[in-house]
Amino acid sequence: MASNGVCEAAASCRILCPKSARDLLDSVDVFLFDCDGVIWKGDQLIDGVPAALQVLRSMGKNLAFVTNNSTKSRKQYVDKFLGLGLSISEEEIFSSSFAAAMFLKMNNFPRDKKVYAVGEDGILEEMALAGFTCLGGTKDGGKQIEFKTNFKFEHDENVGAVVVGLDKYINYYKIQYATLCIRENPGCLFIATNCDAVGNLTDLQEWPGAGSMVGAICGSTQSEPIVVGKPSPFLMNFLRERFRIPTSRMCMVGDRLDTDILFGLNAGCKTLLVLSGVTTLPALQDPANNIHPDYYTNTVSDIINSLAI
Amino acid sequence: MASNSSVIRASAPKLENVDELIDSVETFLFDCDGVIWKGDKLIDGVPETLDMLRSKGKRLVFVTNNSTKSRKQYGKKFETLGLSVGEEEIFASSFAAAAYLKSINFPKDKKVYVIGEDGILKELELAGFQYFGGPADGEKKIELKPGFLMEHDENVGAVVVGFDRYFNYYKVQYGTLCIRENPGCLFIATNRDAVTHLTDAQEWAGGGSMVGALCGSTQREPLVVGKPSTFMMDYLANEFGISKSQICMVGDRLDTDILFGQNGGCKTLLVLSGVTTLDMLQSPKNSIQPDFYTNQISDLLPIKAAAV
Repeated sequence: MASNGVCEAAASCRILCPKSARDLLDSVDVFLFDCDGVIWKGDQLIDGVPAALQVLRSMGKNLAFVTNNSTKSRKQYVDKFLGLGLSISEEEIFSSSFAAAMFLKMNNFPRDKKVYAVGEDGILEEMALAGFTCLGGTKDGGKQIEFKTNFKFEHDENVGAVVVGLDKYINYYKIQYATLCIRENPGCLFIATNCDAVGNLTDLQEWPGAGSMVGAICGSTQSEPIVVGKPSPFLMNFLRERFRIPTSRMCMVGDRLDTDILFGLNAGCKTLLVLSGVTTLPALQDPANNIHPDYYTNTVSDIINSLAI
Repeated sequence: MASNSSVIRASAPKLENVDELIDSVETFLFDCDGVIWKGDKLIDGVPETLDMLRSKGKRLVFVTNNSTKSRKQYGKKFETLGLSVGEEEIFASSFAAAAYLKSINFPKDKKVYVIGEDGILKELELAGFQYFGGPADGEKKIELKPGFLMEHDENVGAVVVGFDRYFNYYKVQYGTLCIRENPGCLFIATNRDAVTHLTDAQEWAGGGSMVGALCGSTQREPLVVGKPSTFMMDYLANEFGISKSQICMVGDRLDTDILFGQNGGCKTLLVLSGVTTLDMLQSPKNSIQPDFYTNQISDLLPIKAAAV
């Protein structure tokens, strides 16, 4: 793919070229980055990311990391970034695990009610930090069931919300527990951190995302969840609050059209699709695709490559 | 009951004229969970009812979405419960999956990956297909580390998904890789029941959850072979040479059993001995109305004492 030269004027989405990169840098004060497939793949940093982030900061740009991956809390993400040599503060991280806890907080979820999590540590930690009692999570990954006559699978009647996110330890016990809570506890909320179909959980391939766990619970409850992660606009409230600038001066940088780019487009942000993650160029250009970012490019480092350094 | 097309269809009437219904059909299709048994407990009056229908020359067929057993294994379950039902009278969705693959001439050099239980494996075996997966993959764990690549067999030409109590992330990934990366790979669901009575005490998350998980990761819809898809209806009508207007479908679930019967052009009788309550049937949110409803199938038996 040509990185210099003429910008393609395809329908409503252009390749990021030196001129448009400079235009973008001039018109944007805050860069919102997705993580999986943009900053890293699994535990491998994508080439050129640290330098790009550093240059952006030195230009006075603010950064935020908006990730649908709910397996870690914001604090755990800080540690992950540190482990990869990047110094990011908790306030710069907006994870869907955090979103789920904030959703309950902002909707005055009663403290005497409990949460059941089909998900990993990130959700449990954020719930605990927000002061909610949260059951389930990783430890239910080891539980088996025996179907015997007269055996009754009990569930806590005080569960007022089931939160579903990416869960590599998904099993029938959790599916059943969540199903009973949603079907039998009056008013029980069904919340999804996100519905991503697949994601780059390792450097070499894609893995099923929260979309599959959420799909399982939709299948057994025949109900649709409240989604707090991208593309839901919920997290945008926090971003507006933090940066206090018009969304037109923010740029969402992500690898997935139906979450990252849609999130940015719906809020009036500029949008940049990177091809380092789940979306290929053919998928972007497919006539069946309705979601058009302002720009697309190979990786994050292309944003600053045009600058003479 | 007459229904005016300009008003919402009225709720189904209770079955009063039992003889009229029985005389009007030659075949009774029965769902199993919630109709014949609940878990491992027979529902009251079932043996007598089945005997009575047989004595009247009616053909009986048992059509279940439960894919955990093969027809042979179901035969044994019937036997254990004291019912004499032949294997050829049983159509489980496990059998339907194998029958479907046969009907499309699924190549014998292609493989089937199974997210489901023994019943599916046994039926695929009987039909002569190469298959793998099933309960054994319930033990498999994954460690996501840099440089780790989960391989999958490029010869998998179909992924069959049904109820799976050993469901785990390994299986979701394996099925997802096959469906997304093997050109032309079929995504087949034995059924999409939301909940099912695996024990008599309560409902359990059904095959709909495993299928939902694969829909979520592949963003594809499966081909469903079990109820309410008419595949099994067409198959058995063809197999037994029966006309669909001569069939009465008896089931406890509106969105599978009753819809199955309606889609097939049969008479439909809902029983309240399973997952559906009278309130659910009569709720304004419900749009599926059977021809009749009754409490349980033993209501088909003649009343012993005449009501005054």
